[in-house]
Amino acid sequence: MAFVSAAFVAFMAVVGAVYFAVPKNNRWVVLLVASYVFFFINSEWLIAVLIVQTLGTFACGRWMSSVDQKGAAALEGLEKKELREAKAALRKRKKRGMVLGVLFNLGALLFLKYYNFFAGNANIVLSLLGVSLPSLGLVVPIGLSFYTLQAIAYLVDIQRGKIAADTSLPKFMLFMSYFPQILQGPIPRHDQLAHQLYEGHSFDYKNLTFGAQLILWGFIKKLVIADRLAIPVNQVFDNWAYYDGPILFLAAAGYGLQVYADFSGGVDIARGFSQAIGIDMVDNFRQPYFSKSIEGFWRRWHITLGAWMKDYVFYPLSLSKAFARVGKRARRLFGTSAGKKIPPFIAMFIVYFCVGFWHGANWTFIAYGVWNGIFIMFGILLADQYDAAKKRLGINEESFSWEFFQMVRTFFLCAIGRFFSRADTLKQALGMIGGSTVGWYDLSFITDGSLTNLGLDVANWFVLFVAVLVLLFVDIAHERGIKIRETIAQEQIVARWIVYLAAFAVALIFGVYGSAYDSAAFIYQQF
Amino acid sequence: MDKVLEILKGVRPDVDFEKEKKLIDDGVLDSFDIIAIVGEFDDAFDISIDVADLEPENFNSAEAMWELIQSLQ
Repeated sequence: MAFVSAAFVAFMAVVGAVYFAVPKNNRWVVLLVASYVFFFINSEWLIAVLIVQTLGTFACGRWMSSVDQKGAAALEGLEKKELREAKAALRKRKKRGMVLGVLFNLGALLFLKYYNFFAGNANIVLSLLGVSLPSLGLVVPIGLSFYTLQAIAYLVDIQRGKIAADTSLPKFMLFMSYFPQILQGPIPRHDQLAHQLYEGHSFDYKNLTFGAQLILWGFIKKLVIADRLAIPVNQVFDNWAYYDGPILFLAAAGYGLQVYADFSGGVDIARGFSQAIGIDMVDNFRQPYFSKSIEGFWRRWHITLGAWMKDYVFYPLSLSKAFARVGKRARRLFGTSAGKKIPPFIAMFIVYFCVGFWHGANWTFIAYGVWNGIFIMFGILLADQYDAAKKRLGINEESFSWEFFQMVRTFFLCAIGRFFSRADTLKQALGMIGGSTVGWYDLSFITDGSLTNLGLDVANWFVLFVAVLVLLFVDIAHERGIKIRETIAQEQIVARWIVYLAAFAVALIFGVYGSAYDSAAFIYQQF
Repeated sequence: MDKVLEILKGVRPDVDFEKEKKLIDDGVLDSFDIIAIVGEFDDAFDISIDVADLEPENFNSAEAMWELIQSLQ
């Protein structure tokens, strides 16, 4: 069942209606059944993978909890020093459950999603020895990359004492499979989402209407912008050798916008449904294209993945004993200012490598992560020199022109990065980047019909242009703290409904549909 | 407490740690500073600050950091 389809709209409506029809304390059961039905419709018997991972994670969590309970009794009456040692021993024991659970989940992800990539690369070396690893016909269940990270965070948070392990397996099954977010996130923490799923929420008209508006906005972003932009972007990327200069660059920049509309649109639908039934789901975007640096971009783009990487990769690595030793030596060698940057610098590089690799089993995604990581690391390493240069040039950092320049620069760098994340091979990405540097003297493509040969006629380009402008205005409003839905809600009923019906008509009339009014699959669904 | 201030000044000489009470909430310290500070504290006070301790309330002021150190000693 496609996320943006008439069938899914009907599915959400039925689940929402049944949710409020059953007694409050059973409402979570409706979500669990709906989530498993949705998973089965999309991945059929691969649901077994989800069940096995859920059972394994739940068991590890319960085991860690039992270690805690037994250990707590033994801690009573101990002196300070003994207490410290006993607590450390307890943490160590508990850690075994966490490590086992993390390896189990990571193993499932690495095997199912990355085995063929590893085998293919290993075979290049192994062929010298005359042996090879077989390629397996592995199929990945929906949401594997998302719910696996959720499971890992759950176990680590239990280990850190931030949360208590779930006591109910069926409820935990819901936490791992909640259908609106299973396809493409966000990646919520247990303490952000679980309690909201388990408690029954009361019907609230404002929540319902606000949720429905968010769903509608998600549909518009996906159908009117993302799926329309996909047509020229696919045309250029699939036939890249025939294009150069501005067309190639516009395709990459266009792909960036396409992914933004596609991914954030999908998250809006997930958040909208959740809001309609009273669940406040964590957001994943904060106007990323207004970022003034690549680092800022990643704090606003796919926020939950960035936060996950910071809490479960960056900090643990940076604070590990091995990294502490490196840091100490670096401070002695290079001085405090430069030395303190070395361990987190290495950790940061690993994080962006992981971010790229998480997107897919392809060197293009690794290059995408590294591309972003390089700019962030240089930004950190050269921060002092950068500040000095700004002072020397007398740049007013608060001025609009400087901030606008920073935004354009970030947009440009992000667009280049998109060559890597969209191209099928590294060779193609590099070829397109090379091609995009030539031919800028000839801008006749704007008027000579080149643009209308990319699959969109003039009318469709116009619709796309207006829709992107609307997206820009909405982002500007959000950036200024204006709550659009609250503002509309304050208008008279006639004005409100004109806006709602117009938005609905826009999605229906200007959306790009395939057969049976289904849209193209979400980009992040495949990650 | 003096030792804490000395370490903090060593990592970020430009910050007035006796006055600042929202070092994390106001973004005065970044993740790189935190990692350097944690490393120095671990060595100086023979403690082991865990990732789980990296909560804003533990690092918002020099006093909060001193309290964290004492709780781990």
